[in-house]
Amino acid sequence: MPVRVVEASSTPSRPSGGGTSGNALPSACTLLSVGQAFSGTQNVSSQQKDEAWRVNVRIQGCDLDHGYLCGTMEALNVPMADTPVVTFWEGEIVDTKNYTFFTGKWGATSEDDIKHWTKFPSFSPLLSQVEVDGGKSLNLSNYPYIFMRWKEQYFVNVGTDCGLTIAGFYYVCFSCSDGSINGFYYDPNSSPFQKLELKSTNEGRLGFSFSSYELQ
Amino acid sequence: MPASASSAPPPPTHSRREDLIVRLRSCSSSTEAKLKALRDLKNQIIGNRTKKLCFLKLGAVPSVTSILSAASAAAAPSCSGDDVEVNESLIIQSAAAIGSFACGFDDGVKAVLDAGAFPLLLRLISYPNDKVVGAAARSLKFIYQSKLAPRYDLLQGNNMEFIQSLLSSENENVTGLGASIITHSCRTSMEQKALSDTGVIKKLTCMLGGSVTQKDASLESLATILKGNPDVISKFMEPENGGALGTVTELTKDKNARTRLLACICLIVIKNSAPSCLQDLRIKTKLILILLELLEDDQVGDEAPFALSSLIAEKEDLQLLAFEANVIDKLVNHLRKGPLLSRRLEGILIALANMCSRLERCRDRLLSLEAMKFVTDALSQDSGEVRAAACICLKNVSRSVKNLSAGLFMNESFVITLVRLLFDDLTFVQVSALDAISNIVVDFLAHKTMFMQCGGVKQLVQLSKSMDLTIRVKAVCALRNLTFLVNDKCKEEILSELTQLTLRSLICDPEACVQEQALALVRNLVDGPLDSIQHVFAEDALLLHAVGQQLQSASKVEVFIQGMYVFTNVASGNEVHKEAVMQELFPPLANDSESIMFKFLHSDDSRLRTAAVWAVVNLTFPSSSGAFGRVMKLRNAGIVSQLKNMVNDPCLDVKLRARTALGQSTTFGDGST
Repeated sequence: MPVRVVEASSTPSRPSGGGTSGNALPSACTLLSVGQAFSGTQNVSSQQKDEAWRVNVRIQGCDLDHGYLCGTMEALNVPMADTPVVTFWEGEIVDTKNYTFFTGKWGATSEDDIKHWTKFPSFSPLLSQVEVDGGKSLNLSNYPYIFMRWKEQYFVNVGTDCGLTIAGFYYVCFSCSDGSINGFYYDPNSSPFQKLELKSTNEGRLGFSFSSYELQ
Repeated sequence: MPASASSAPPPPTHSRREDLIVRLRSCSSSTEAKLKALRDLKNQIIGNRTKKLCFLKLGAVPSVTSILSAASAAAAPSCSGDDVEVNESLIIQSAAAIGSFACGFDDGVKAVLDAGAFPLLLRLISYPNDKVVGAAARSLKFIYQSKLAPRYDLLQGNNMEFIQSLLSSENENVTGLGASIITHSCRTSMEQKALSDTGVIKKLTCMLGGSVTQKDASLESLATILKGNPDVISKFMEPENGGALGTVTELTKDKNARTRLLACICLIVIKNSAPSCLQDLRIKTKLILILLELLEDDQVGDEAPFALSSLIAEKEDLQLLAFEANVIDKLVNHLRKGPLLSRRLEGILIALANMCSRLERCRDRLLSLEAMKFVTDALSQDSGEVRAAACICLKNVSRSVKNLSAGLFMNESFVITLVRLLFDDLTFVQVSALDAISNIVVDFLAHKTMFMQCGGVKQLVQLSKSMDLTIRVKAVCALRNLTFLVNDKCKEEILSELTQLTLRSLICDPEACVQEQALALVRNLVDGPLDSIQHVFAEDALLLHAVGQQLQSASKVEVFIQGMYVFTNVASGNEVHKEAVMQELFPPLANDSESIMFKFLHSDDSRLRTAAVWAVVNLTFPSSSGAFGRVMKLRNAGIVSQLKNMVNDPCLDVKLRARTALGQSTTFGDGST
């Protein structure tokens, strides 16, 4: 059984909303910066059997101005795969400037969006406003959770004939406090609400380490 | 029936050219003979660079200048009427010949300036005969079209009045000269304002209704006066200038290609300098389409892509419009038509580079058109400008993390050529190659070894010792990016090539920008597996001490940030590592209340506060055995009480880390007892 990441027990402070206060970009969070690694599981259980894949994620690019994040996702014990399966994903950060809570593509309706976002306890203070305008008028810049959509774009180390699909996408909630990530995979053709649970990893260290690069 | 090549008239032989020079120089030649020689010379060199060069080498320009000088002196008002007429003819013909040498030919301009013709021509502008004035003005105009022409000080004495008088003339060559002087000499905002205040804009606007030459000269001049000066632009937009903007906009449809290009450039200058003046989306789209069309033109096709670049550079909205207008496809089609001359190729590569500077969809499009093979080819072109343009294009395309992650650029065709360009004779090519390499080596796959096998590290290390600051800082940045998420074997290789001593000297470089990159390199070096931390403990912790010293003495916040992340990463190691960081942050004999940690936690820069708090988080990490002792030390140094002040820091990241650090510190009691 996959280990669940414990949600923060305290209720997050309410984000400001309405008027002109929205659309401030989220502040940089070092735990979500390039080079950071996460590991955990994705529950892919179906009616037939319980199953979870071990998953590693690495952040490779982050551009807050454009609400963009990207990285790789490695699934370790995928049945019928000889090697771990690595995919490259791109993320949309729900910053209410570049992206709202409404997906508007990838086959997801606003009802699907609400259904998935509400599975994150930290979303509840936002629900009423999101139902009105997708969260456009919310100011999430100081909210301790970052909501994202991660969409896998291509397989890095296997061919498209590997028998796996990357047709869906993940609704993701990142906790700025401890770097934990919760997500739900959405694909109308796959088992619903496959849960992704990841924790920030420190590669055997007694603390956190940060690397960086600078594109020219 | 076509004539055979042998039946064509033979080109003038060497002796005939020398004979012409002799006729120009001969003191015994009659005035008529000199006039004929001048006409012959002029007819031979007009529009023919080869012949211009040939006569230049034979010393024709000083001879013609002597005739001009003598005739100018002889045509003084005291002379008789017939003499004046003859000498004026000589002046007109010699001035015309000088103008032909100077027209579009820098070597000719240099010879004319060296021969002392320039002041003679300038004096003739106030000559009482219009034809003489016209001939002198025409020649001066050509001289001023060259970058070699002397700069005219617009703000000195009565010079502004002189410009006004030129622009008020009925003679087209004289007004053209006025416009050319402005285009060549107006550089500062003060000069722009002075020209605008004296009503020059109105005069130039009037010229927009004149001949093709006048229109073009006026458009160039207007672009010079308006460039980067919103105040002058707002004056240009005033109704008293007779709807000048509308006239310029109309000229983008002119039948003459050069006029269309210059009108576009003028509008681009306005758009770039005062964006609010040109909000209409249709004009922007129109500019893009006109410039694309001009790319096909033989006369201005070389310059059109540069104008397009200045329109879209650093402007995402314009890049998107250009993308929607299929600019990438059209530029690539030109590359396919090749081979192109250097200037055209350079312009197209720079335009593609600008298109791909920000938008991923543009990069995707360029890659899907398989255009990178043209970029690879251009990396090996003879022209340095083309090689640099190809590097810039590659740099911008490789800003795509998606494609870097796919290992798209780390292939031999790029890497071998780029590494070779690090040795290029031209510094600007080396700089562009370093930029492209900096991006490509970020590669997230295990391809970094390929770059190393191609000798890339050796050359980067060499360049990191360059006396040229730009080269040095970019070389260190490339090494920093290469060290990002690289395996330990590669780290060993990089360090063995770089050496601890060189890296230490880079950390202590006199320039802060180099220090910053060197510290970021060390930060990456000690990231990853735990063993990586040992790199800063080699040779009696040479690097760790260098980082500590730099943090004590540096002044730039970016240097502090990278230095603190080195300490943060080292402090994520074992007890020895954490204690070593404590020693650097709180040296035994120093006053703790003046520690750098204390200073950094108080910084106005939230990035530095974040880096500093992360170091505290790692130093107080609960499962480490010495955490209690370090918490005591931090408490005594006033760090813990400072953390209490930071739990409501305006920066969310700082606030959350401060809470974590404080939580870990209070595990050992709050120190109140």
